[in-house]
Amino acid sequence: MKQYKHLLKPYIIWAAVLIVIPLILIALYAFTEEGNEVLTLSFTFDNFRKFAEATYVNVILKSFRLGLVTTVICLAAGYPLAFIISRSPERVQGLLILLVTIPEWINMLLRTYAWMNLLSDNGIINQLLGLLGIDPVTMMYTDFSVILGLVCNFMPFMVIPIYTSLSKMDHSLIEAAYDLGANRFQTFWKVIWKLSMPGVVNGIMMVFLLSISTFVIPKLLGGGQYMLIGNLIESQFISVGDWNFGAAISLILAVIILIFMHFMKKMDSQDD
Amino acid sequence: MLKTIGLALALSTVLSAASVSASPSEIVLYTWEGMFPQEVLDGFTAETGIKVIYSNFDLNETMLEKLAMAKGGDYDVVIADDYILEQVVAEGLASPVDTDVVTNFGNINPLYQGQFYDPENLYTVPYGAGIPLIVYDPDLVDIDIKGYNDLWDPSLLDSVALTANYRVIAGITNLALGKSMNEEDISSIEETGEKLIALAPNVRLIQDDNTQNALLNGEASVAFLYTSQVTTALQENPELKVVYPEEGLGFGIMGMFVPSMAPNKDGAFAFVNYILRPEISAQCFNYIGYYNTNKAADSLVDENLVVPDSDIHGEIIRNVSLEAEEAYSRIWTAFKDACD
Repeated sequence: MKQYKHLLKPYIIWAAVLIVIPLILIALYAFTEEGNEVLTLSFTFDNFRKFAEATYVNVILKSFRLGLVTTVICLAAGYPLAFIISRSPERVQGLLILLVTIPEWINMLLRTYAWMNLLSDNGIINQLLGLLGIDPVTMMYTDFSVILGLVCNFMPFMVIPIYTSLSKMDHSLIEAAYDLGANRFQTFWKVIWKLSMPGVVNGIMMVFLLSISTFVIPKLLGGGQYMLIGNLIESQFISVGDWNFGAAISLILAVIILIFMHFMKKMDSQDD
Repeated sequence: MLKTIGLALALSTVLSAASVSASPSEIVLYTWEGMFPQEVLDGFTAETGIKVIYSNFDLNETMLEKLAMAKGGDYDVVIADDYILEQVVAEGLASPVDTDVVTNFGNINPLYQGQFYDPENLYTVPYGAGIPLIVYDPDLVDIDIKGYNDLWDPSLLDSVALTANYRVIAGITNLALGKSMNEEDISSIEETGEKLIALAPNVRLIQDDNTQNALLNGEASVAFLYTSQVTTALQENPELKVVYPEEGLGFGIMGMFVPSMAPNKDGAFAFVNYILRPEISAQCFNYIGYYNTNKAADSLVDENLVVPDSDIHGEIIRNVSLEAEEAYSRIWTAFKDACD
């Protein structure tokens, strides 16, 4: 095995150049003042202090609220779907999983624009409602449209890991539960749910992380009225040009994500 | 224009050293692609025998860097944006306009003159302006919109579409309060922020791309649009009304100048003078679709490209101090937070 170690070297270089160095740069930007030359760095915590203002704290709270709602909906809708898929005949399973992933083959922007066409005031849904004599409903640029967009985009990231852990499950354990007198609910809660926990935890992590850091979907479906943490980072880099503050927010987001992952992993291992 | 600066900084190091040398019978024109209709350039050659070599740049910053490397030589006529003209003039890269040759200098609309980059009008000749304006659908709006302050009218609840540049939107709020678009006083910017938050209930959409669509498909009844969007909106629906806000205009100006060491200065100024002829200007502005900066051409240009009243005050958004910039960014975040 030892001689294969050399094969790792390109990866180490790759990781250093494309992951470690950029991270160091972000950290450097976050802790320095605007307009630095490399030779005259001056360090500061101002970028972080600025973030403590109510305006920016609100942005983070809103991002979390939206991320949480999206994750809960994805879990509530995704688990039964994954469960049904894992119970179907083997040949059908592949097809069903394909159906879940097919939307991901289409560019995300295109999917989002499709939603805009469906949901707009003169969109297809409202035209159909009009035929039924129902007054148009404002759906675009609301919490509803943003969350719908997030859920649709991130659903596969919930379904696939749960499906994987459900289908890998040892069926003899379920049979054993029935043999020992557990009813369907007890079997599900005490055996199946517990055994699918790794998938659930993975799904929650992926969906939550994707939805709190997204910025394109809320921008388009929220009509630019949503300032989430991703949008805030984007605007600091692209339009305000305050890379230092932008880097500080990115770092704060990264730390929050690390803490979150730590707790999720802990939850996962406690269940074993 | 302002928002490209950050990107430009990252890209501007990429340079090629292609040098173009001009003989007395030709001039090198250096600007973005598609700034002149071909027949205007051919017309100049037919009249004077001077060939026009059209050379392109994508970013103002690239132009400045190349021009600085050539020490003000190589190019005869350059057209670029207002903020970069300030640097060109400050670095001594522009020649004073030779008014003996440029006899049509008086045709320029005074609205676009005396701007910060050239307060004495010594070096530059405006060539088109971009002016974000209010456009509304009179069928859906009950009030007569005259200026920015009308956007706050309670009857426009949830029906205003805005472009998404924070400095521009904060800038028009400043104008609505009778202040400069480039206000730098922090407490005054905070006052602007409060005014902006009061606009939130009326806002339906904030977006930079295709903002006019919201107006055309009826999602919004009033929109604040960039020049190209105003043009598109009017093409699709000529019934829409355009408002030149009474509180003043915020605009961006493109200007021509002749570099300090231009190889063919005489030819260059002859070209500038040719462009300032009313009928030639009209051809140019109808082609590029920017606001006409040549007063003498007003009657010849598409009426939608003429600001009807040149007594109106106009201002260009400029870079402000770091503290002010931060304050603008903060009130923008608070505004968006209040919007949904």
